[in-house]
Amino acid sequence: MTPTILVALVSAAAIAFDVFCLVDLRRARVRHLPKWGWVLVICVSSPWGGLANLIFGRDGTGPPAPAPPLPAMPDAPDAPSGPGAPRAPRRRPAGPMLIEVDRLTKRFGPVIAVDDLSFTVRPGTVTGFLGPNGAGKTTTLRVLLGLEAPTSGTALVGGRRYQEFVRPLHQVGSLLDATALPAGRAAWFHLLALAQSNGIGERRVREVLELTGLESVAARRTGEFSLGMKQRLGIAAALLADPPVLLLDEPVNGLDPEGIRWIRLLLRAMAAEGRTIVVSSHLMSEMAQTADHLVVIGRGRLLADTSTAEFVSGAGQDVLVQSPGAAELAGLLAARGAAVSQEDGGLAVTGMAAAAIGDLAATHGIAVHQLITRHASLEEAYLDLTGTSTEYRAPSPAPGGPGTPGTPGTPGTPGTPVGTAVR
Amino acid sequence: MSAAQLQAAGAAPPAPAASAQPVPSRLVRARDVLASEWTKLRSLRSNRWTLAVAALVTLVLTAVVAQAFAASPAGGKNAAVIDRLTTSFLAYAEYLVLPVTVLSVLVFTSEYGSGLIRTTFTAVPRRRAVLAAKAAVTGAAALVVGEILAFACFFLTQAILSGRHGGLSLADPSALRAVLAAGFVLAACALVGVGAGAVIRHTAGAIAAAMTVVILLAVLCLALPAPWNLRLGRLTLPFAAYAEVTTHPPAGLLSPWLSLLVLIAWPAAALLAAAVVLTRRDV
Repeated sequence: MTPTILVALVSAAAIAFDVFCLVDLRRARVRHLPKWGWVLVICVSSPWGGLANLIFGRDGTGPPAPAPPLPAMPDAPDAPSGPGAPRAPRRRPAGPMLIEVDRLTKRFGPVIAVDDLSFTVRPGTVTGFLGPNGAGKTTTLRVLLGLEAPTSGTALVGGRRYQEFVRPLHQVGSLLDATALPAGRAAWFHLLALAQSNGIGERRVREVLELTGLESVAARRTGEFSLGMKQRLGIAAALLADPPVLLLDEPVNGLDPEGIRWIRLLLRAMAAEGRTIVVSSHLMSEMAQTADHLVVIGRGRLLADTSTAEFVSGAGQDVLVQSPGAAELAGLLAARGAAVSQEDGGLAVTGMAAAAIGDLAATHGIAVHQLITRHASLEEAYLDLTGTSTEYRAPSPAPGGPGTPGTPGTPGTPGTPVGTAVR
Repeated sequence: MSAAQLQAAGAAPPAPAASAQPVPSRLVRARDVLASEWTKLRSLRSNRWTLAVAALVTLVLTAVVAQAFAASPAGGKNAAVIDRLTTSFLAYAEYLVLPVTVLSVLVFTSEYGSGLIRTTFTAVPRRRAVLAAKAAVTGAAALVVGEILAFACFFLTQAILSGRHGGLSLADPSALRAVLAAGFVLAACALVGVGAGAVIRHTAGAIAAAMTVVILLAVLCLALPAPWNLRLGRLTLPFAAYAEVTTHPPAGLLSPWLSLLVLIAWPAAALLAAAVVLTRRDV
């Protein structure tokens, strides 16, 4: 037993634990071990691994607050509530930029995520990018951002491929997944690293932190952030270089009503400045209030590319009639060709205008208590559209599409997830 | 650098329409990405603490090993393999090299694990530039830490040995080379880690791969029959590192200069594989 062999043996045993420990250490879960768990970790792991765990696994105070305190901004959640006036971004955008997706196809093995998709997004509007889960929204955005190579077709921003931008944050701000953050890094450093990579200064980092109401938590590690704070941080990152194009994937997820309102106003203000803004969301009601234009896709194909108003009006309308003589009126309406169905407390009438119904009731001396024209909501219009697309696609084999047998493998049938998301 | 600062100053004024911005030179772009990666590296407290604790434990164990060596009869059974120079780096080779390799693997795999890599590649679409910056920053940090600790371990060991066997000084043959090379070994292992992380993307798998290169291959080679164990073994990182830090290299090992080539070849291969793979894959 020469000492050297002994040392070698001891270290060999330690190595295995060292590696284990380091891997674990980097996962935030370690921090939530119960007390006895700590003892276990320390006993089992090698000396330095255990010590390291003990020291920085605990909640620390974080790095010294890098941003000097900014006056007059209350705590994070309230900050942007200041009467709904998100500060208009300071600089002028770089001139309008189009987003052009042309015959884009992206295939993952047998699955077609995006199928011959073409649309154009114009500056000066907020464009809602809608589709059920698995419709190909995120894939389209990733191709636009140069993260994935298209199987065929092109996706251009301002007439160029994203990879051609030298400092792309100055052209396109994006938010793909707000939870994709470095758990162990303070928000400040996360933004700073991003800013530096595009030659943006610290001052601007402080500005976007202030803009998103995060300056008071800038020194905290992002792993401690709530989903709402992560969304704000993601938006701060997207706004870093004050770009003329914004691509936001589900930006309102996890935000409180205050935050949702803040984003809506911010996006509207930025669109009014002539920026090109694409927002994907599954919250239809939110889109109705935010987006001027809608691009709807299902199963990777374009379903609609219209203005929000057209989209809703195209979805049809009906008239709700409340009357004590409902039964009699229903018979008269049906005799004149209108479709009538019973609803609790009234009749739902399609195929006849409210005025005509009122006249009809008056001539027959039937009292009418309510007569309401109802427009289909964006949600209903959307469900109609995506539901139909499913029906169409299932039975009819698309002509000449080599990938048609693959359609059963497409993740998530459009119909169901939407239903659950909306309810 | 001054040109770079001029460029930066030019970009600072408040109203640069993005398209009107002058296209920054390659030098400026490289500096930006380097600055960004350096911020990432230094802003993780876990990196600092792990390094600090690993360094501390390395020094303590170096002292323990030196004490044990000093206590053993001079010219004992292991004297042929473990000489006064090699003794200095036994603890270094495990308690510093392995943790640093793991940290280097995490440079990429932690970003892949959290999805942050998409943000990174969105900010810098030239993925090889990101790889180069990460490798440069990690490698440079490892080199600095490695050299400092290699010198510390050397002087600590020789101070302890001076009582019994007589310590070496840097002026002794091959001592300076050994100390410099020990620092370089750390950088080489760190770069292997960066490359493995970029290629494999998953932490566990990448650590396994890096560890295979950093230790396991050498152990496997030892199990081969006689002429082949050294013939193949000398091409592995640990043997090459050993050849750099011993005063009497056993016959069959490569010369220090050729070993240096081995120490360069492994990280180069890992980074090359990463460069090829990164641009071809979807993120």
